[in-house]
Amino acid sequence: MKFDDQKIRNIGISAHIDSGKTTLSERILYYTKRIHAIHDVKGKDGVGATMDSMDLEKERGITIASAATYCEWKNHEINIIDTPGHVDFTIEVERSLRVLDGAILVLCSVGGVQSQSITVDQQMKRYKVPCIAFINKCDRSGANPFRVIEQLRTKLGHNAVAMQIPIGLETSLEGVVDLAAMKALYFDGDSGEDIRVEDIPPELLAEAAAKREELIDRASLFSDELTEAILEEKEITPELLYAAVRKGTLKREITPVYMGSAYKNKGVQPLLDGVTYLLPAPSEVENVALDMNHNEEPVVLTSDPEKPIIALAFKLEDGQYGQLTYIRVYEGTVEKGSTIVNVRNGKKVKVGRVVRMHADQMEDVDSLKAGYIGALFGIECSSGDTFVSPGLNMTMTSMYVPKPVISLAIVPKDNKAQMAMSKALNRFSKEDPTFKSHVDHETNETIIEGMGELHLDIYVERMKREYNAEVTTGNPRVAYRETITQRADFNYTHKKQTGGSGQFGRIAGYIEPISDAEFVFENKIFGGAIPTQYIPACEKGFKQSMAKGPKLEFPITGVKVVINDGAFHAVDSSDMAFQAAARGAFKEAYLRAKPVVHEPIMKVVVETPTEFQGSVMGLLNQRRGMIIGSQDEGVMCVIEAQVPLGEMFGFSTILRSSTQGKAQFTMEFALYRQVPQSIAEKIALEVAQNKKTAA
Amino acid sequence: MMIKKEIISRNPLLNLGFENEYILQSGGLGAVLAHAGVGKTALLVQMALHAMMNEQPVLHVSLNDAVSKVDIWYRELFHDMASKNDSAEITEYWENILNYRFIMTFRVEGFSVPKLEERLTDLMQQNIFKPYAVILDGLKFDESGRGLLLELKELAKKYAMRIWFTVHTHRHEPPREDGLPFSFLHVADLFDVLVQLSSEGPEVYIKALKGQSPGAKKDALLLDPATMLIKA
Repeated sequence: MKFDDQKIRNIGISAHIDSGKTTLSERILYYTKRIHAIHDVKGKDGVGATMDSMDLEKERGITIASAATYCEWKNHEINIIDTPGHVDFTIEVERSLRVLDGAILVLCSVGGVQSQSITVDQQMKRYKVPCIAFINKCDRSGANPFRVIEQLRTKLGHNAVAMQIPIGLETSLEGVVDLAAMKALYFDGDSGEDIRVEDIPPELLAEAAAKREELIDRASLFSDELTEAILEEKEITPELLYAAVRKGTLKREITPVYMGSAYKNKGVQPLLDGVTYLLPAPSEVENVALDMNHNEEPVVLTSDPEKPIIALAFKLEDGQYGQLTYIRVYEGTVEKGSTIVNVRNGKKVKVGRVVRMHADQMEDVDSLKAGYIGALFGIECSSGDTFVSPGLNMTMTSMYVPKPVISLAIVPKDNKAQMAMSKALNRFSKEDPTFKSHVDHETNETIIEGMGELHLDIYVERMKREYNAEVTTGNPRVAYRETITQRADFNYTHKKQTGGSGQFGRIAGYIEPISDAEFVFENKIFGGAIPTQYIPACEKGFKQSMAKGPKLEFPITGVKVVINDGAFHAVDSSDMAFQAAARGAFKEAYLRAKPVVHEPIMKVVVETPTEFQGSVMGLLNQRRGMIIGSQDEGVMCVIEAQVPLGEMFGFSTILRSSTQGKAQFTMEFALYRQVPQSIAEKIALEVAQNKKTAA
Repeated sequence: MMIKKEIISRNPLLNLGFENEYILQSGGLGAVLAHAGVGKTALLVQMALHAMMNEQPVLHVSLNDAVSKVDIWYRELFHDMASKNDSAEITEYWENILNYRFIMTFRVEGFSVPKLEERLTDLMQQNIFKPYAVILDGLKFDESGRGLLLELKELAKKYAMRIWFTVHTHRHEPPREDGLPFSFLHVADLFDVLVQLSSEGPEVYIKALKGQSPGAKKDALLLDPATMLIKA
């Protein structure tokens, strides 16, 4: 018998920072009776919103790690992943979207579609996540949900259509009109839990009729039944209308828009109805795994709980009982006591406790069927690992992981802190693939790397709070890279005779720039000038040289090495000798290949009131920013620029002070670009100085 | 530079016999007339790319599209035009010419000449950008009066720029014998150069309506719709 997953929804709540998604999650949990009291985001009452379970999140009023939680609404089981809104944590957002079937895009009715909404929307597009929109904060002064719907259309290209209209706005927001049922909904009781359904107020009748007409018109494109009903002038029932909108939503061709104010407890329950009516069940979404036995051929998964297990570990958390691994089951059923295999390393593990999460509280369950999200205890793995039943060799598609662009040296205060720090670093790098750490062998410093200043700041803070690791930090360092710009030949002989057997190896060939790979090695030796057994040693030697440029000691990328001649000695040649020869050859050719330094360039988007447009452009320009353009949005204006990361330190403070705190910006990595000569000289000086201090 | 050479040799306006390489003089106005979807914006973007390659800064003002969408126009057209070249070379060249472009978008209802001038002075005073040419895409000629065009002409003269417009002509409105639609006549005299794009099936043709040097070819030329260059 086929398992019916039609009543399951795995959804995410994605949005711009401060558009109220954590408040919305909190209300959802309240109305679905998972919690019995409502707390504010910033923890004024000392408790904090349920989904923000880390202390740090409560303090800063932002959501860092996506807590997964489960609730029930009208016979549907809903798993919610609360996703962080800041760009620095985008990997978290992307990871969440990977396991979701649908999403609520939360927008602020005043701020509208902001730059972060655009980033999040692009991610949703990438993972083809169907979404419904919720225009929040309709009680705020300046609220205009229809302007936001227009922005959804023009800025994000969504075919957005209102499912509701507001009854009153700003401080006089009373409720919403449901355009499918043509009824007015009011939210009574202390926390808006009692829904009062009434006739539409007469003054809103005409507007409601017009908007319903628009809704029917847009929905009719997806349903022949609806078109027929329109042509035959039959009554259009809410069911008919919802079925049509649902079809469009699943194809991502229409975006139904709900509205209200989560903070004022208005409009949340109809949104939950929308989630159950309009977003897909797990089996309605196509998920693909790669068959490792057949050349990574994609295999469409069926969401069948009777089949062998395929599950993805998408998040790890360190709890008081050990590592908690959040998984999404795509096929089969993960049961207590069953055996699963980690595809990455082939290790078999036995499933111990299986739980369902409700933010930081949990409930034990016996199994997780296909389509479910839950968590396992005591499983050692990394985030992004695939688990399968023994005998299967499938992996869920690997996610794109950007490389870190910024690094920071950290020094533990004492021995105790050192221990705690290494424990924390181990955990963080397992949890977050964009966070990396290593020890610089020359300076003996521990270096952490990540996607931005805030990203690293948060981890340093977490080290202190969760692991009691007091560390001091150095100045953030930009991840520069070196590359070559022209071909250069080499012909290098490594020869050493210091008693005993000597070392001998000669390598000849050339290096040249390539744009689409980091390192390519080509062997064009014919006739055995270098015996085949030493070729891997040559490659290894060149690869070692790429780790640190001979000039500025930044990693080198974009080099193709071709070897075409050489010589060996029957007694004195060895792997070691050819590795050394390769390093020497690289050094010889590198400086003649006109090396240059590349720096990470960030895409910076500033939203500012128009009166500060000129000064913001000035600020970006002073930072070697190339302004791509400015977009006039009435009172606000959006400026998009590409600015070197090295120039962006402290930008938020300066931006705030030059715009009376009214502008905000987001930043994400865009590309690597060559550093201008004058800056390259400055960098060379800094490197030389650092070396001196280290010595 | 191969890319530059090819783009110049296949430039439709130069092939139509306009006098100098820059076609419009300082303070001049030019327009591309066509029905919706024929390629007005693409043609102007191609001309903008031409200017950028000559290190002449272009300000692209759009009243329809977001900055990111305008950027895609440039990116795609450039990559189509340069596709025969080595990819590393294309990237490097693209990065270089990008410095000569600035995109500004306004909402149609929020656009006015004083506002544009305010933004322009913001840029020029701080030495961020001084346009040589302006592309104004999306102005509705049948709705905006002659006054706005006169103001723009003044602006072009004041800052020694030339401004190119897109003019959307309607299919239901047959043009006069000289090719000009009636809804454009009230401002036609303000323009120094007018060209028309038309499509027949998959083919796109370009024809000069005003401003050609005497003795130049009067026939329409066939364009490659992917690049809006003369079909090779």
